[in-house]
Amino acid sequence: MTALRALALGALIVALSPATPALAHYPFCSCEKHGEMIRCKGGFSDGTSAEGVKLDVIGYDEAVLIPGKFGKDSVVEFRSPPGDFYVLFDAGPGHVVEVDHNDIP
Amino acid sequence: MSAATLDRSAASRFWRRWRFHLSALVVLVPIALTPLYFRQLALENGTAGLGAREIGERKVGPWSVRLAEFDLLPPQVQGPAGPVKQFTLALAGAGVTEVRAAYLKIGKPRSLRAAGSIFFGSPYRQTAGLPIPERTSPDAEVWLTLEGWDGSMQTQALPLAEASPVAADWLRSRNGGKP
Amino acid sequence: MAKKGGSSARIWFLVHSWLALPIWAFVFFVCLTGTIATVSQEIVWLANPAVRANPPSADATPLGYDAALAAVERQRPGAIPLQIVRSVKSQYALQIDVAQPDGATATLFVNPFTGEIQGQQGAFDFQQFTRALHGWLLTPFTSGFAIGWYVVSAMSIPLLGSLITGVVVYKKFWRAYLNPRLRISKGSRIFWGDLHRLVGIWSIPFIAIISVTAGWFLIQAILFDNAISISTVGAPPIVAREHAPTLKAGETPPKPSVDRAVAAAKERFPDLEPGLIELPQNAFNHVMIWGRGGYPLIFEQAAVNPYTYDVEWTRRVSDRSALELVTESMRPLHVGDFVGLSLKLVYFLFGAMLTAMSLSGMMVWTRRTAQATVAVARGRPVPAPFPEPAE
Repeated sequence: MTALRALALGALIVALSPATPALAHYPFCSCEKHGEMIRCKGGFSDGTSAEGVKLDVIGYDEAVLIPGKFGKDSVVEFRSPPGDFYVLFDAGPGHVVEVDHNDIP
Repeated sequence: MSAATLDRSAASRFWRRWRFHLSALVVLVPIALTPLYFRQLALENGTAGLGAREIGERKVGPWSVRLAEFDLLPPQVQGPAGPVKQFTLALAGAGVTEVRAAYLKIGKPRSLRAAGSIFFGSPYRQTAGLPIPERTSPDAEVWLTLEGWDGSMQTQALPLAEASPVAADWLRSRNGGKP
Repeated sequence: MAKKGGSSARIWFLVHSWLALPIWAFVFFVCLTGTIATVSQEIVWLANPAVRANPPSADATPLGYDAALAAVERQRPGAIPLQIVRSVKSQYALQIDVAQPDGATATLFVNPFTGEIQGQQGAFDFQQFTRALHGWLLTPFTSGFAIGWYVVSAMSIPLLGSLITGVVVYKKFWRAYLNPRLRISKGSRIFWGDLHRLVGIWSIPFIAIISVTAGWFLIQAILFDNAISISTVGAPPIVAREHAPTLKAGETPPKPSVDRAVAAAKERFPDLEPGLIELPQNAFNHVMIWGRGGYPLIFEQAAVNPYTYDVEWTRRVSDRSALELVTESMRPLHVGDFVGLSLKLVYFLFGAMLTAMSLSGMMVWTRRTAQATVAVARGRPVPAPFPEPAE
């Protein structure tokens, strides 16, 4: 966690050193349906934007249906694909958020 | 102010005399918290063991791991990422050199890419923050994924109530009457 | 201000008193612990020979990072390095955090010339403890910033208020720079009053720095806990899965070479002086090198891929927005750790003076109040609240 929490607080942590504020930043991604379109907002718990982070729409058969990337506004919009799918926020190995299409209101 | 006001009870004389020094009582806070501070430090640097509560040893494919709850707190809200619960893990035996990464997730992972939150630390002790959204069922399963340096992927599930009774209780109280 | 009527001066004076008086003891505690924290590293250096660099001979050359890590590995078989701290001051030993096979993390003090482990951080880390005591009263960080962090950093408000009202109340204070006055034999109220004013005028810039930077700590906590980011840092760098090699049975996982990583980073930033090197905490973590470059207040960062040794992510002074340059300079300005011993001693001196300010302020008030009370009791007129600098 050190790397993440160091990023979260910058040089502050250098001096606070290990074993104190465990302020990591965790990824999040929430999606909403707007008619045909689905709008996903991503980011990190400390307010860091998800600009440049991958967001793929993946079928239950693991085929990537719609590859995408977050823009400056930390938002990705795409047309809802037919069938079962999930949305994967992927900042890198182990920094993922999965949103199932059944959980998109 | 008249002379009569000086003639007060002992309590109010005490108050008058000491009221501006009462903020010194704030030092009682660090005095009271010193044991907690050192307990917390011991927990974070591992001298107090793997975590606050050992879940036990688990076989994951060919490897064996020990898993623990880092603390006994319910999931803590981390801003927009929602409630997160910390777990610690120790690889044992051959796993120390054979396991490339470990992940934790609520529910069965669909792929290695979607295996969940990665553990940070050393093979001897590593920590991961598992997001537990409030809508999670208290009967959900926690899935541990180990990725080998040989590219293999092994998973093992355990009930959330076993991984973290406090998180399961917290979900039950959150979900309330809802199924 | 000097031409203004007495009643407004009286109000300013009352504000000045009431800002700090009810909390003076707490402010005193925060100032005192902060003053000690400033020189805590130096105190540790004096108290514990293990943290000193101790060159074996005058012409000894420091080991490379990999050689130092190898020496640690020989002395502690199985220990896995987590991070290396190299102090800006050359008289300090390397601090290498290692994970031990029993799961515990240890901070080792390693001789930078010989690689000898000279000692190990015990359970009581004086430096860390003083900072925690000063900065957040040892309150725990469970979700977001600790409550104590808020309480302590909120003291920036009365501190800044005391500074402003103090300057307003103390008419023509600049005269006192040339004619300092500290009357010792005229009774304790006069003494404490003179001391408060004399120390006060000489501390104006320091109090301004401390209160403004502490105010930033308060704002920082509020922003973080409300997930408001002013950061342009972006998503964290993570090593791509395809870079981690796939090994055959029996092959040992690659160990990153810190020397190569530092060399790669230095190729990009020739003036980078590594202060903290974080080793990868899992297979998809970079070697993160933190160091000061041209601008001493801010740490620059380079994330080096531990397999390809490409510098994949950097964070330099020039990447920061103007706002970040200001806000990230706040912590070093608050603690004064960016030059060396000389500045630490300056901070210690002014810290001690600020600590004396809260004590002398209270002394002035209670002496005055006591006198006033006695005067009232004996039916004599109450002295004016603030003695004018009559001369």
